[in-house]
Formats: sequence, structure tokens, C-alpha cells
Amino acid sequence: MSDAVSFRSAPGRTIAIGLLRLTDSAPAIVAHEFGFFADEGLDVALSVEPSWANVADKLAYGALNAAVMIPPLAFAVSLGLRGPAEPLIIPYCVSLGGDTITLAKDLAGELRDQAREVGWAAALAARLAAPGGFGTLAVVHDYSNHNLFLRYWLAAAGALAERDYDVVVTPPARMVEALRSGRIAGFCAGAPWGDIAERAGVGATVATSGDVWRNGPGKALAVRERWSKENPEALAGLLRALYRAARFCDAPANATYVASLLARRAWLAVDSHAILSSLPGTAGRNQSRFQGSAATYPWRSQALWFLTEMTRWGLIDGALQLGAIAERVYRPDLYGAALAPGGASIPAMDRKREGEHAADWSLPASPAPIPMGPDLFCDKAIFEPEDAQ
Amino acid sequence: MSLRILLVDSDPERARALEKTLADAGFTQLSHPDADGDLVDTVRRLAPDLVIFDMALPDRDALEGVRALSSAAPRPIVMFSDKDDPAFVGDAIAAGVCSYNLSGVSDRDMKAIVASAVALFQRYARVETELAAATAQLEERRVIERAKALLMAERKVTEPQAYRWLRSKAMNDNRRIAEVAADVIKDHDADGLLK
Repeated sequence: MSDAVSFRSAPGRTIAIGLLRLTDSAPAIVAHEFGFFADEGLDVALSVEPSWANVADKLAYGALNAAVMIPPLAFAVSLGLRGPAEPLIIPYCVSLGGDTITLAKDLAGELRDQAREVGWAAALAARLAAPGGFGTLAVVHDYSNHNLFLRYWLAAAGALAERDYDVVVTPPARMVEALRSGRIAGFCAGAPWGDIAERAGVGATVATSGDVWRNGPGKALAVRERWSKENPEALAGLLRALYRAARFCDAPANATYVASLLARRAWLAVDSHAILSSLPGTAGRNQSRFQGSAATYPWRSQALWFLTEMTRWGLIDGALQLGAIAERVYRPDLYGAALAPGGASIPAMDRKREGEHAADWSLPASPAPIPMGPDLFCDKAIFEPEDAQ
Repeated sequence: MSLRILLVDSDPERARALEKTLADAGFTQLSHPDADGDLVDTVRRLAPDLVIFDMALPDRDALEGVRALSSAAPRPIVMFSDKDDPAFVGDAIAAGVCSYNLSGVSDRDMKAIVASAVALFQRYARVETELAAATAQLEERRVIERAKALLMAERKVTEPQAYRWLRSKAMNDNRRIAEVAADVIKDHDADGLLK
């Protein structure tokens, strides 16, 4: 990682945090609206950005100090894969789950009977791999969880990207139109956009990121490494405020409140029902987690999983030392330093075998163990972080 | 000059102004994406040398997936380039405009074009800020007038008395008169709902 461009910092002591119109921006919005950042003595400005590219460029050039972000894009910015290189760190994760795989309604209807027998992944893979079945699926960015999850899910069922289907990038707000016009056969995107496509009558959600990887990682807090070094106290305050907000967002009793807050014009500006269905404890099946199951801990094993999958699909150079990148970007040490004094349970290790729990389990942590949900992958594979150095 | 420039702007009026500026400077091959067309298709079809992009639009992510085919080696389209002057890029980002250089347009040409786009975006942003401030001021006056009318009707007081009441309450509570007035209206509306 080379040190890149320096750009004047934001005026005053205001900390600029970028986010997109997504359900898992909830903890940042709640922390802002409830004054949790102010309680930490921080002056935070949230900036709702229309594209991941804006978030990445503003982080790279210093117009943002931090962002609620997709981890693969944080690696891409750190490595200079899509513009100037600027080292970013992930000292805190924001959510688990929350993404959907949503197909055009007609296609879902055609595949439904077969999916009942073999599952949606196999049914869709068989259709794509059949002669004349080649289709186009959309994700929200090349360097996104969604791109990796969709490819993983279909590859496990026998369909390969580029060979059996095309992957294009479409902004979430344009997915409904792209489905309606037939330009895409389906997409993988974060909540609430799958629900919005269903409500518009053009899409059917057939799987969630939980069907690819149970309780797998969602968004993370990416922070300019330079800023974090110059402002360690402010960084710790940010994490404390977000952790407090995460606890609020995870409580089922608060779901309707969070949904109507997020629905406001200043934030997501969408139907609050579409947001509600993916909040913890509601009836929807695509549920985000914001605090439980160690959702906020930056696991280096998950960093390595992302990096391994990015290598698999040619998004990063296979010759890179993945272990060194994971250690520089994912910073569980900063997480512990910020949250342990307040009594939060901190996991006893920075990596774990991913995908080995079919049922609830208990994670060794201090001062108290953390109750964890299952973490199976769709292909029942177990990811060994030690193999991915 | 024979550079092909694609202008992607959410504001048609601003786009026309930029087009005129560039045309006056001798750039004649200017185009816009179709209203309902796919942006990626447009870029592939037109193969522009330079794309000037309104950062308020979500479509940048789609564009980043496109490989620039006009150069010898296909490469991802990136905003500006690594060697660009950060202060220049910073001004452009702050103004909300960015550019993609697809065919190695010279730095000097690129900068001149982007600088005129930045100036235009700044001018439009300033007009919007001024408009928003003027609208807010009008709204405050409307709220205060309505609160005064309510107080006059409810308390049988004169207009100057109603205004003095609002002003002294604002001073006591250390708030703005418009905020106090908004509370008066809110209380009145809530009472109305209960009746």
C-alpha cells in the first residue's frame, strides 16, 4: 500500500462520515439523531452519498474521514485498485446479513416449481447454464460483498460468472427500472432495495445473504488510517457511539421507530415498510444484525475470506500477501481499546474458522462469552484463515 | 478541437450552460446520454475521450465497471488520475463534479475543461444556497405571522402585543422567535385535533 495524495482536512473538527441509502446505515443515523456522537464530544456530519464511487473518492481525497462501507471496496481503495491509493482501516463492523438476491418476477415464477425440489441456487444455475439461458445479473459495485456473494452462491450450484452469466453494475435505485425493462434478470443488493423491487411488482426475492453465508458480514466502518492515527480519541468515541446505537437498532421493540426514522427524506427517502422488513426481530426473512453475534467485531478471518474471494474472481492480484493486508486493514486491537473499558465483551481471538457452526454456539470472550448464531456457507465449506495467508 | 466529450448532468439547464461554454471554447463534439438510455451502453457506443460527470447521480458505480476500450490495453475507467493535483481534484469534488479521462487526453486540456465545469457547478450551488436561504426566511415570516394571528384571536390581544409576547418568550427561552412561533402553531394544531 503506497501512501497517496494528501488533501486538506475537513474544516474545523467536524468528522465527515459517508453512507448510502441503505438499511444498514441505521446505527450511524441513530447515533447522529440521538446525539450519541455529541455525547462523546464529537461533531459528526453524515453525508448521504449517491454512489459507492463517491464514497471511495471522497475517502481517498480526504473529503470524508470515514464511511459505512462494503469491505471489498475498502481493500480496493487501500490497494489503489480503482483510483488513488489511500490506506483505510476497518476498526469496527456495522452489520451482519441484510442483502437479497432478487429475480425478475417472471423468471422467479418459471423457476419456482424446480426451486421447491432443488433449491433456488440450483434452479437458477441450471437455467443460466442451459443452452440459450445466458443471462445478466446486477450487483451494486465490482468491489462489493454482493458481487462476491452472488458469484459464490451460483458457483456452488454449478454456474460460473462470465461463462454462464454476465455480471453488470447497476445502482440500487436503478434496479427496479432495470428489472422492468428486462436489461437484467436479477440482482444482489442491500436492503431495502430487494423489498422495493417486490413492492413495485417487478421482482421476487429468492435468497438472502444469509442463504449464502449465515450471519455473514455486511457493512463495515472504513476510516482513513491517517486520520485514525492523528485522532485516536475521536476514533474511540466514534466506535462507542456506534456500538451504543447498534444495541438500540438490534432491539426488536425499536424496529418500527428505526424504520420511520430511516424513511425520512433526509436519509433513505423510501417507504418505511420496505425498511422495516429487514430490521432485527421483524417478520421479514432478510434480517440484518447490528450488535448480537459479535456483529461489530472486525474479524480478520472475514477479511481473509473477502480477500480470498476477490483473488478467486480476478479482482485482486493473486501474488499479494493477503495476511499482511488483512492485518493492516482490519483492526480488532482498536476495537478492543475503544470498547473494552465500557464493559463490552471482546472476543478472545482475531480470527476463527468460518462456516463450522450449524447451530447456536458460544464464543470465548472477555469478560463474558458471546452467544453466536450459526455461520454455515451454502456449500457447507469451512474457511480456514490459516490457509489464506 | 476534436475531443469527444460526454456531459452527464442531472440538471439540464446547467448542462446547456456548460455545453455553451465548451462550444465557445472550440469543443464541438459534445453529447449527452439519452434520457432513458443505459449510461454504460452510451459510453460504449460514443467512445468519448472525456466524460464530465455530475457526482449527485448514482450511475458512477456502473461506469466503474466499464473497461476503457479505446486505449491499447483495456483498463478500468478511473476518476481523474493518480498524478492529478489533489487541490484541483478536491475543488472538483467539493463542487460535485468529476471527470473520466478515457483516452489519455492531455492534462492541460482536461484541466481547462474540468475547471470550467467546476466553476459552473459552483455558481449553480451558490444560487441554490441563496435560494434556500431566501425560502427559509420567507417561511419564518409566514410562521411568525400565523402565530401572531392565532395569539390575537385566542388571547384577544393586539398585533404588537402578540409580537412582544413572542419576542419575550424567545428571549427567556434563549430561542429564536420563529421557533417559538412554530410551537404556538403546533400547540394550536394539537388542540384542534383534540376538539
